[in-house]
Amino acid sequence: MSDISDAADLIATARDALLAELLPALPKERRYTGLMIANAMAIAVREERLGFDAARSEAARLRNLLDAVGASPMRAADPIDTELATLRACVRDAVRNGRFDDPECWKMLVAALMHTASDRVAISNPKALRGEAAAAPR
Amino acid sequence: MPEALREHVVDTPEATALARWLEGEMRAHDVRVTRYERLPGGAIQDNFLLDVDVADGPFRGTHALVLRTDAPTAVAASLTRAQEFAVLRVAHDAGVAAPKPLFLCRDRRVIGREYFVMERLPGIAPGHRLTREAALVPDGDALARALGANLAKIHAIRPPIAVLDVLPPPAADPARATIAEYRGYLDGLEDAYPALECALRWCDVHAQSSHDVTLVHRDYRTGNYLVDAGWLTGVLDWEFAGFGDPREDLGWFTARCWRFAAPGREAGGIAALEPFLDGYESVAGWRIARADLDYWQLMAHLRWAIIALQQAQRHRAGGERSLELALTGRIVHELEYEALQLLAQIAR
Repeated sequence: MSDISDAADLIATARDALLAELLPALPKERRYTGLMIANAMAIAVREERLGFDAARSEAARLRNLLDAVGASPMRAADPIDTELATLRACVRDAVRNGRFDDPECWKMLVAALMHTASDRVAISNPKALRGEAAAAPR
Repeated sequence: MPEALREHVVDTPEATALARWLEGEMRAHDVRVTRYERLPGGAIQDNFLLDVDVADGPFRGTHALVLRTDAPTAVAASLTRAQEFAVLRVAHDAGVAAPKPLFLCRDRRVIGREYFVMERLPGIAPGHRLTREAALVPDGDALARALGANLAKIHAIRPPIAVLDVLPPPAADPARATIAEYRGYLDGLEDAYPALECALRWCDVHAQSSHDVTLVHRDYRTGNYLVDAGWLTGVLDWEFAGFGDPREDLGWFTARCWRFAAPGREAGGIAALEPFLDGYESVAGWRIARADLDYWQLMAHLRWAIIALQQAQRHRAGGERSLELALTGRIVHELEYEALQLLAQIAR
């Protein structure tokens, strides 16, 4: 751990102060705004901690998917954000063109996108992630 | 009027203008506004609580009303107040539990915007409370049956209906028309959304043969109806109503994204699916197949994701900076996740 607070630690600490000291002092009609701010800060902390790895592994999965259906774009030397945008657009086009319609490809597509979606829900709202229930029949 | 009551008269310019307008509509010589307050919620519509005392004429007495008008920035997909008023009148006349619409005002000189006034029904609506506080819904099965039966009454309203000519005509193939519309919207955005594309592809390939076209509410879900002492008093928020496939409403009501604190209760977080479909069938005479319900639940998640993206755009690109809109955009991640869960379930 570094000696000096990083961005995530600063936001997390600021959020604690908001919840402990400011929220109880807010008038009732401002409480909702206070809670929204706390929620936004919690998302920012999680994204700061998990976002980079999530984006890198998403890019890797999208590249695999495109390789599997022979729809890979030229390997870009762009920074990860641009590369991700390109990969997502290529997967969108391949999906629309039915390149993943084959049952095996489709299964692979859904599984890869699910992995990415789980990573993002772990940042945006981890409470919405399903545990074992996800695998249980309805 | 006794002096003690007079001090309760709201005499802001807007309330006074409303009182004068109501005197015309209610054929009275003396209407007083005793309460006029903005109601919380409603990113698209503005609702005001409006209490009036009417001294004479056919409406003599006190009235608890709601005034509904456009929020300063409206979303393109929603009806105008005049259209919503027409829909609400048809639905109310057909015996649907909904607030009784009273008067429409298209004259912008009164309060600066179009609006209508309807009766105020008792009850509470917030989904997080109805799905969590057992005391509010002592008999979830009974409420779900009532909600199902009530939805079927909406679906019994079929085109052509002269007064609803104000609505756009139904699409020939509602599901595919919707899918094309969503893709068109996504194409205008900065990013691509592979998970939504995946769900759209599935819905496109598996689009079902067309069903009856009926009036559909398009936002019939927990959070948009009032419950008083455990009973349904009325369905609110008719701004997205139109003609379409009735299965769309069944999918929307039961989709996991509208179950709030009780995701295990498929009927809107209120009850299991069966009592809701029983109530629906008791009026409609037919019951949706499981595969069709899955399809329209998937469409429900797609629709909510598109709306959430639109809200995010209002904040990011529409010059309407708002924390609430920004956070609504983050819901897209959950909706992608739920759509994929559904796709995985369907394939199993």
